Amino acid sequence: MMRTSRATRLLALAAASTLTLTACGSDDSGSGSGGDAGSGGGDASGETLTVWIMEGTNPDATPFFEEVSTAFEEETGATLDIQYVPWASAHDKFTNSIAGGTGPDVAEVGTTWTPEFGDAGALMDVSDKIEEAGLADGYVDSVLESGTLDGAVYGAPWYAGVRSIIYRTDLLEEAGVEPPTTWDELVSVGEALKESDPDLIPFPVPNSTHTTTPFIWGAGGEVATQEGDTWESGLDSPESIEGLQFLESLAGEHDLSTPAASTWNEADTRDAFARGEAGMIISGSWTPKSIVEANGDLEGKLGVVPIPGPDGGMSPSFAGGSHLSVFETTDNEDLAWTFVEMMTTGEYAEMWGEQTGFFPATNDLLSQLEEAEDPLVAPFAQQMLEASATLPVTPQWGQVEGAQTIPAMMESILGGKASPEEAATTAADEMNEIFGS
Amino acid sequence: MSSPALGSARRPWLLLAPTLAVIGILLLWPMVRVVVLSFQDFGLRELVRGGAELIGLQNYRDVLTDERLWRVALPNTVVFALVCVVLTVVVGTLVALLLHRLSPGWRTLVTMAVMAAWAVPAVTGTYVWVYLFDARAGFLTGVLGQLGLVDVATQNLFTERGWFYAIATLNVVHHGFPFVAVTVLAGLVTIPSELPEAAMIDGANAWQRFRHVTLPMLKPVFAIVTILSTIWDFKVFTQIYLMPGGDGSNREVLNLGTWSYITAMSQNQFGLGAAIAVLLTVLLMVITAVYLRTLFKEEEL
Repeated sequence: MMRTSRATRLLALAAASTLTLTACGSDDSGSGSGGDAGSGGGDASGETLTVWIMEGTNPDATPFFEEVSTAFEEETGATLDIQYVPWASAHDKFTNSIAGGTGPDVAEVGTTWTPEFGDAGALMDVSDKIEEAGLADGYVDSVLESGTLDGAVYGAPWYAGVRSIIYRTDLLEEAGVEPPTTWDELVSVGEALKESDPDLIPFPVPNSTHTTTPFIWGAGGEVATQEGDTWESGLDSPESIEGLQFLESLAGEHDLSTPAASTWNEADTRDAFARGEAGMIISGSWTPKSIVEANGDLEGKLGVVPIPGPDGGMSPSFAGGSHLSVFETTDNEDLAWTFVEMMTTGEYAEMWGEQTGFFPATNDLLSQLEEAEDPLVAPFAQQMLEASATLPVTPQWGQVEGAQTIPAMMESILGGKASPEEAATTAADEMNEIFGS
Repeated sequence: MSSPALGSARRPWLLLAPTLAVIGILLLWPMVRVVVLSFQDFGLRELVRGGAELIGLQNYRDVLTDERLWRVALPNTVVFALVCVVLTVVVGTLVALLLHRLSPGWRTLVTMAVMAAWAVPAVTGTYVWVYLFDARAGFLTGVLGQLGLVDVATQNLFTERGWFYAIATLNVVHHGFPFVAVTVLAGLVTIPSELPEAAMIDGANAWQRFRHVTLPMLKPVFAIVTILSTIWDFKVFTQIYLMPGGDGSNREVLNLGTWSYITAMSQNQFGLGAAIAVLLTVLLMVITAVYLRTLFKEEEL
């Protein structure tokens, strides 16, 4: 008896990792909510399109998608089944669903993941459909390119955002300083904030990739460069290391961060800022709204400034966003594309941008925003147009993100376990190994 | 039941068939799959398109020559499991002895309190401990700071391997001891009260009574709880993965479970991840086999 139970337990243990492959992500077969599919005169009535959308981008996502669902049903007769996926577990969920064949028809895919999943054959090449719809010149180039691999387009650009510095206008005023325009000023503003309120974290330095890269790019370094078909990491270049040393000095020498931040990601940092514990943070163009929503006391107390360059100008920051991709396993190619087109162009793309603070990914809509004078939008728009950068467009980049190469580098630097130079060398080696495989 | 007639040789298998089928589908097949996977070069592309290449022992060679195995994952797994098993069994036994001495009313009350720790899902429990040890606002971090054990101004406990696993140990022992306590208690009530009484008359003190009366009688119970705890603590995953840095951004705190998952799921090296999982299983089997052997050998004496 005991023998069997031991044996089965051991089997179960060994099976555990495979079971996760098959057990998760199998939640797309249930019928959507609301059974009355009576209205609508389209040709796809009775059919359901399953769509995965990242959670948290739009604080009012539910009413938005209710409206979209109604419009979609009117146009096509088909029902939309919108499912929300948290960013943190999305990459694993995609992988699991691909393994189990339980993927959705359409999914929002982070722009840095599109090449990886596209290359693996999980996403449909929609270049023909974009051509047919006359949208080839309609989408913003950089966002379209980040989903393009060897001429195949694995995702239609939906929205994009960029990171800048969000600061507390009231606290800066109290400390008698202006927002920083150089790296030296970033230090002096931080020190002034600390002096006026010792409990404040003037400028938290988390381990996130997107709060680290501006300092690498700002110092003239590169995350990776392409030569022919191969990519090579630039994290260990003298310029990159200089940027990392400066970033480390903000936490170490100048004590503008907090030890807790060494295990923070972007969301943790934003939470601390929303609780009123931080003075300045690097944060996305879509976040001021959710910060104010989390803490109403901050209304009217937020300011935005592009991330300064070492001696003025700007440090580039990552322009990320999302594609809407059609999964290769869909039975409803045309229906799926109808949805994608509806979401990425015109009325709904504009509404999504307004509600989320992201920039729409069509040229028409973006140029409208250029003229906006909203103080919480204009500096971001300036950063987007003048100082934004993208991460390597290669299928391997998803693996680099999965390995958490840059967060691991930052965590060992911030935890005092390695100097910026040592940590950067280790990270560069790891990245090169992934690029080479 | 004991009728010797018709098809008696086949009948037991017939009755076992449903169970075997379930075990085969749910346990055996996935395990075979993992083993096969561990001999393949299996990435995201193979996952979608099929056609994985057999590469022999390459994955195992990669794992066994990776210094991360010897310096990080293996020590973390083994030392952590050892400490956790010892603490879980000791604490659980002490609680069981306490419960055994309590009056029925108090016993129910304390058992319920103990059960609460068991009933908390691992995910929730882990977040509670993480919150208590948060570098800025954690209550226990504050207490440690007051005691002078931690410099709150510069330390984040989760980035330090020793502290990280100390916190994980607290979490796992806290979650695991109720099972031991309840099981040992069930054993304790089966010991006839004459035995400890006789020992007491012979002048045995509490420790001697435990050592020479209770322990030998409850040997099978201790064998079960130790083996189960060993298995659980070796393959601990949730409690590590959910702690800050445990998902791979802190390379010093990887154990075999999280390393396998991160390699397979986050980096899409499914073959390599499977090889790590197989090694973990083999390690566990060896330890359990050695343990059972010594146990049964002693019994034969």
